[in-house]
Order: sequence, then structure tokens, then C-alpha cells
Amino acid sequence: MLVKDVMKGPVLTVGPDVTLEEAYGLLLARGIRHLPVVAEGRLVGIVTDRDIRLATSHLNPKGPCPGCTQVGEVMTREVVTAHPLDPVEEAAFVMRHRKIGCLPVLEDGEIVGIVTGIDLLDALLRLTGVTEPSGRLEVRLPDRVGELARLTGFLAGRGVNIHSLLSYPEEGEYVRAVARVNTLETHLLAQGLREAGFEVLWPPKKPW
Amino acid sequence: MVIYRDEYRLYNFGPGHPFTPARLEMLTSLLQALGVWREPLAPPEASREEVLSVHSERLVRRVEAASCGEGVPDLEHYGLGTGDTPVFPGMDRAARVLVGGTLEGARRILVGERRVLQLGGGLHHAQYDRASGFCVYNDLSVAIRHLVRAGLRVAYLDIDVHHGDGVQWIHYEEKEVLTLSLHESGRYLFPGTGHVHEIGRGAGLGRKLNLPLEPFTEDGSYLEVFEALLPWALGAFRPDVLVVQAGADAHFLDPLADLLLTTRAYERLFRLILEYAEAYAGGRVLFTLGGGYSLDATVRVWTLLYHVFHGLPLPERLPEAWLRLWEARLGKPLTPTLHDPEGAYPEIPRKPEIEGRNRLTLRRLTELAEPYLLH
Ligand SMILES: [Zn+2]
Repeated sequence: MLVKDVMKGPVLTVGPDVTLEEAYGLLLARGIRHLPVVAEGRLVGIVTDRDIRLATSHLNPKGPCPGCTQVGEVMTREVVTAHPLDPVEEAAFVMRHRKIGCLPVLEDGEIVGIVTGIDLLDALLRLTGVTEPSGRLEVRLPDRVGELARLTGFLAGRGVNIHSLLSYPEEGEYVRAVARVNTLETHLLAQGLREAGFEVLWPPKKPW
Repeated sequence: MVIYRDEYRLYNFGPGHPFTPARLEMLTSLLQALGVWREPLAPPEASREEVLSVHSERLVRRVEAASCGEGVPDLEHYGLGTGDTPVFPGMDRAARVLVGGTLEGARRILVGERRVLQLGGGLHHAQYDRASGFCVYNDLSVAIRHLVRAGLRVAYLDIDVHHGDGVQWIHYEEKEVLTLSLHESGRYLFPGTGHVHEIGRGAGLGRKLNLPLEPFTEDGSYLEVFEALLPWALGAFRPDVLVVQAGADAHFLDPLADLLLTTRAYERLFRLILEYAEAYAGGRVLFTLGGGYSLDATVRVWTLLYHVFHGLPLPERLPEAWLRLWEARLGKPLTPTLHDPEGAYPEIPRKPEIEGRNRLTLRRLTELAEPYLLH
């Protein structure tokens, strides 16, 4: 999944000479939180609802003057951006480590979209496959060649379609695999998997 | 009034499939052995047009083609030909026979019958455009639509252990249909939906209610939230009729799911549903069957339903001859009493936590839906 698959566009932008009052009005009217700032066709900064509220707070010694302060004075310069072909996990990584809420998406210097934390949550939902009628299977696998193939091969052999499969490393040389599978019979699958030597964490084995 | 015909057993995905017609054969033979079987009303099968009142033409066309053995390349896209819902010869008609039974129940309600028990159907996973989870056509929605078109307000109650997703989505934007589903949380279990946040859309907003329960929920906690939710929701909605999907797969013996109801909870549930129908729906109630994959438990649960429905005294032991016959056929012992024995499963260490979480879920649901449901 790439940034272009989850980003939103076209993007609402403002010039640096727009007042904070006007910018805040736009954010409210559109129900958004981030405004990229563009001058002469080039991205020069970004301003968020939080930036505006901080700048115009009574607690701020320089504020408030929403009608006379310009966006250019309070915006963040040197904006971190993404490319449409970046993988979503890279966008998530950058946003998490820089502690920022969005990335304007640039292609050949031109702003073509924006990706926010919400878009990444949508991506996560799609990755987990929860939108298809399915049951959940959770298996702990040794972290070595062929284990995932053994699992998916088993499911294929039972005629079970896998809507989604997430796997992530665990402590102690293990990989946790979480699958959404198109069947009501996850218990039967779990039983079969256990008999085939898999460690199934969900669904649990009933003691009766 | 009871609705049933032997052709219900044509709905058969083949040997080894959990949704087996043996359930109906066992149930009707037990009722006969107990001497309580009264000749049921045999319904006509539903027509193609009746099925089309809730399903897409392109789904129906595919079911028809698959039924007579024609190869359909995009069958899986329509939820058919999968491990859960394989195709079989005559599938279209077999499904229409079940739909016909539930629809006949709706018709009987419209001409003045108050209580109807349809000994079949309950195919709550079938969606507008897709078969799903053992369900080809949605008999419940066909009946509900028939009732709504006749001007009735319908409350649909689903106690199957799986979320009643098909019925919910088909009526998701309808003001005249309240859906209530109590099920094991979709976090783990098929179909994965039925979250408290799914409360309807447009005119249907606040009229689709879901109570997802923790795995290993037991009788006490289930009944506690049920008795809090139902009078509240039905009192606010004031339906003309209750349509009930009485799946038996929330029983602790069920091999597909993880709720731990005993037959005692089921007996209480059935009595409460009849009480609520009297108090909030003019006494009108249409029951269907549904899921239930432990033959032992499912047949006893539905036998209970049949007795409570008719106000009959409950037998204690099941007839010896019947037990011997079916134990031989299934090759395993059966519970010899109608109710489960006491202490049939070990104590659940997480019990207080489970009860707490179910209470919290109920509170979230009522807080979410209250502003919409009550006006
Ligand atoms: Zn079920």
C-alpha cells in the first residue's frame, strides 16, 4: 500500500499573507486541521489549527491578533513531505518519529495530496481486512523460513480464503500471525492446526 | 402456529457440513417421540420475485445457474462455492423453500395470527448482493420487508451467537425496522461485524443495535444485559411485531463459537421474549431457527423453544428409544435430559472481568443509541 492509495487530494492551500482569522475560518469550514502554505507555486510552510490557537492565545505574550497576524509569521518552515510512491509504513514511520500529524505529498515539486494520521488509520483498517465477513485466527510461528508458507498452505488445503494476513515479530524468535479468514469454522481450523503442530492462540481450545 | 415442511431438509451442503438437515430430522423426531408434535402448516416456497424483494438480480441469477450445475466464473465474488457455502444441485429451490416458510409466517401474522414458530430458516448472514456463512437467501429480511410494506413496524431480535449482519445491512437505513443482535464479539468471531458503533444510517440511525459479548460469557451475564436492553429498546421503539432469529449456537457445547449459555438460559430467554412480545408488540412474534452446530445442544434448545412456545410442561428425560436410535446413528452419547446437567463445564476464572466488560458494552450501546431511538 502506497501513499498515493491513502492520501487525500486536491489539497486546500493558502498564501503566507493570509491572516490567521481567515486561515482558521477555512479550517473550520472544511473540517480539517492542516493547511499547507504555498508561495509562487512552491510549498513554503504548513500551519495547523494548533499553531493558530497557540499564536492567538491570551497566554501568548505576542498574541492575540487573529485579524492582523499573517500565516507566514507562525507557520512551520522546512516541511517534511512524502512522495506518492512512498510505502504507507514509511509515511507512518516519519510521522511517528518527527511527531507530526500530516505529510504534504509532492510530485516534481508540486503538491498533489496530503496524508494525515486519519488516513493512516484507514490504511491500517484496510490492512487488517475487517471489512470482509470473516473470523479471526491467531498463530505463533517460529521465526524461520517456510513457517508462514506452512500456515497458508494448510489454509489453502482446507479451501479457506484469507482476506488479510498480518505478521509481526515477537520476543524470543517468534512471529505472530493474525489472519482474517472467510469461514465460520475457525474452531475446526484451530483444531486441525493444533493437530498439525501449530501453536494456535485464538480461537482457544475448550477444555470440555 | 407452527410452520414446517420436510423439504426444508433439501437445504443440504453435503456430508460433514455443520449446517446439516439432521438437525431438523432429529428435532422433529424428538417432538414426535415426546408426543407433542402437532401437524404443522406446510408453506409454499417463495417465488423468485419474493426473493428479489431483498436480493439483487445478479445474485439470484448466479444461485440459479449454480443450482443446475452451470459453471459460474465469478461465483466466489458472490459468496458461493466457498468452503462455508458450497453449491449443491437444487440450491436455489431449497433456499426458496426456507424463505417461503418465514414469509408464510409473516403473512399469517398479517391476517391475525399472533404467534408463529417457523421450524427452519434464520439465514441471517445472506446479504443483498452476496451469500455468506451457510446462508444463500435471507428469509428473515424477505419476511421483514413483507411486514414493513404492509405498514408494520418490525423489531428484529437475533440471539444467534454470530452477528446478524445480513439483516442489519439490508435494513440499515430503514426507520421502520429495529434490529437487535446479541452475539459473541466480532473481534474474533465470524462475520467480524456487530460493533456497538454500527447504529444505522439516514432514517435508520439509532435503530440498529448491537451488543457484542465477551467470549466465555455465561448465563448470568447474558441474561443481565438482555433484560436491561430489551425492555428499554422495545419500549422506545414500540414495534407491531417481533421477528426472532433463535439460533442455538451460543450454547456452551457449540463447536463454532465461545459463548457459554446453558439450556436454562435459553428457557428463560424464550419465556422473556414471549413476555416482551406481549408487553411491547401486541403479542405478535415470529420465531425462526438459525445456527446451532452441536446436535446434542441444538435439538434440546429448540425442543425447549417448542414447549415454551406452546406453553407445554417440560419433559425431564428424553425418550429412551429416541436416545438409543440417535446415539447409534451419531455414534456418540447424548445428554439424556432436556436441560443440561449442573456444572457441565469448568469454572471460568475471568468471570468478573467478563461480566464487567459486558456491562460496559451495554452502557456504551445505550449511550450511543439513546438520542436517536427515543424520538
Ligand atoms: Zn450462528
